[in-house]
Amino acid sequence: MGIIDKNLSLRDRNKMLLGIWENEDKLVEATSELVHARVKIQDVYTPYPVHGLERIMGVRRSWLSIVAFLCGMTGFSLAFWMIYYMYVQDWPIDVGNKPVRFSPSWVPVLFEATVLCTAFGMAFFFFFRNRMIWGIKPELLDDRQTDDRMVIAVETGEGVDEKKVLKIMKDHGAVELREKTGGVQTTI
Amino acid sequence: MGHGHHKIEITQEQFTVPAKGKRFAIGLTILGLILAGIGIATIDRSGSHSHGHETSTTKHEHAETAAKGGEIAVNEHATEAHAEATEHHGNVENKSFGPRAEFHEQNKPWTTRIWSNVLIVGYLLFMVSLAALFFVAVQYIANAGWSAAIKRVPEAIATFFPVGFILAFVAILIAKNELYHWVHYEHQHLTNGQPGFDAILDGKSWFLNSKMFLIFPVVLVAIWWLLGRKLRSLSVAEDAAQPGDVSFFKKSIRYSAGFAVIYGFTIAVVAWLWMMSIDAHWYSTIFGVYNFATSWVTALTIICLFVLYLKSQGYLKLVTDEHIHDLGKFMFAFSIFWTYIWLSQYLLIWYAHIPEEMAYYQIRYEEYKFNFLLNIILNFLCPFLILMMRNAKRNPVVLTIIGCILIFGHYHDVWLMVAPGVFGSGQQIGLLEIGTLFTFGGIFIYWVLIALTKRGLVPVNHPYIEESAHHDVGV
Repeated sequence: MGIIDKNLSLRDRNKMLLGIWENEDKLVEATSELVHARVKIQDVYTPYPVHGLERIMGVRRSWLSIVAFLCGMTGFSLAFWMIYYMYVQDWPIDVGNKPVRFSPSWVPVLFEATVLCTAFGMAFFFFFRNRMIWGIKPELLDDRQTDDRMVIAVETGEGVDEKKVLKIMKDHGAVELREKTGGVQTTI
Repeated sequence: MGHGHHKIEITQEQFTVPAKGKRFAIGLTILGLILAGIGIATIDRSGSHSHGHETSTTKHEHAETAAKGGEIAVNEHATEAHAEATEHHGNVENKSFGPRAEFHEQNKPWTTRIWSNVLIVGYLLFMVSLAALFFVAVQYIANAGWSAAIKRVPEAIATFFPVGFILAFVAILIAKNELYHWVHYEHQHLTNGQPGFDAILDGKSWFLNSKMFLIFPVVLVAIWWLLGRKLRSLSVAEDAAQPGDVSFFKKSIRYSAGFAVIYGFTIAVVAWLWMMSIDAHWYSTIFGVYNFATSWVTALTIICLFVLYLKSQGYLKLVTDEHIHDLGKFMFAFSIFWTYIWLSQYLLIWYAHIPEEMAYYQIRYEEYKFNFLLNIILNFLCPFLILMMRNAKRNPVVLTIIGCILIFGHYHDVWLMVAPGVFGSGQQIGLLEIGTLFTFGGIFIYWVLIALTKRGLVPVNHPYIEESAHHDVGV
């Protein structure tokens, strides 16, 4: 199941068919049916994570853990360089006759810097990837999709049987069906 | 894989120990006995009796010994009586630090090494089994759903803790005079002003005395055992109850909370009395947490290995890669936790560099450098670097290899708490050590396998069993 290019803003997309759900189980059923019917789902919007949905939709594993690893390595390297420059090269200080080079006192600094960079890096890339960076206008398909409603969005176009999509949605518990063209939504 | 949202049939499973499993456990015990036998046969018995009083060392060597043995500052004037042990009498010698001359003259029979090994393995298995009980309690307190499907495994492991306790306790009863130099000191009944009087040990004697030493752990174990038995019987009763009856679950939460509080406050006492008091002049305030971390990560590892074994034999049908993944995460996370605690203890002592605190690490760093570093490699670097990857945590083969490394690593950790303190320098993990580990390890495995057969593997009426069956941590 291919995931449609998400980098495109919702405003710039073709006509979309929206189904609104209030029941999580029925939403999962409908998603499953649409996938089986080889309908390309643009995305499913839920106010909270719904278990199993990502497997049905065929969402690939996130790169976030690899980003986290790289951020951690960056933090470790930066801290290592910082300590080495400050404490060994530039201004060595004899504290209690402890060794200056590679001594256990480096460990907490290395650890903290690694954790700090990992956490900040993950948070930044998570929000960046989810288009939740400051300045981006939120694109809600339904005002209640962050509250108690769930939305399945299907982009129409060549090879999309609109009637079939709407039938599947209706048969699997959609409480409302809508059509979206540009910024205008009309209830079907 | 738990796709969720479809009904998963919850059926009871009855475990019967496969012949291969029994043979493995018994074989491990026999192999252990053989190795231990060879180890005992090759102990240098002559070394233990005669060399305690050799005083022919030159002043230079003397100074070296004082530095090596981690002689503490209080003791500078007492080094005259310090007995230098010759290199080839390695196994039972009295070069250990300790401020009193008497201690260095204490001859230890060669059997001390056997009892120290029984203590190490008994203590480890005792702590690990108890930590498994703590795992069960934590799941109840945290209202955890995912673990319901594997719950019977830690419950079975927990039944071993009285046995581990008895093992360690027998070793202590028989050899406490040699294993703990403060016991030896206590028997001399010295008062202030007498030669050989030790102000530090005297000051600790309100707590560190034979009565406390023997009675306190027995009382604690009795309390833990009663609470553990209660949790177990509730769990059994739940299986036979009406589906949907949560009264057993609610009661279990209360008993678990009680157990967790008592365990949390008292597990350190056993660690102080049995492990920390080997180096009786030394103390570390984080020692209880350190011992808990060791036992906890080992318990999680053993739980994971038993789950993998049962899974490979076709049992625990509700357990999926998701549960295995979570156990792998636990092994990974608490290996880091162990390292964190280990380093916290080491770093403060290293920084402050107070002689009386340094003594513990000085001997371990200078005389046991290999073991000191091996400890970090086995218990931190291996799990950290390998289990970091997601696929490794979901791979039974990788988990088994890392699990074996961790079990040996934490055995080695406990060994390093005991051996340098009891014998001074010159010890190494040999056939006797490995043999003792295998012997009691085999008995432990056999015991747990039998305990697993005692009742169904699936807590069918557990309120969260359905949730556990659907457990899914996502892509």
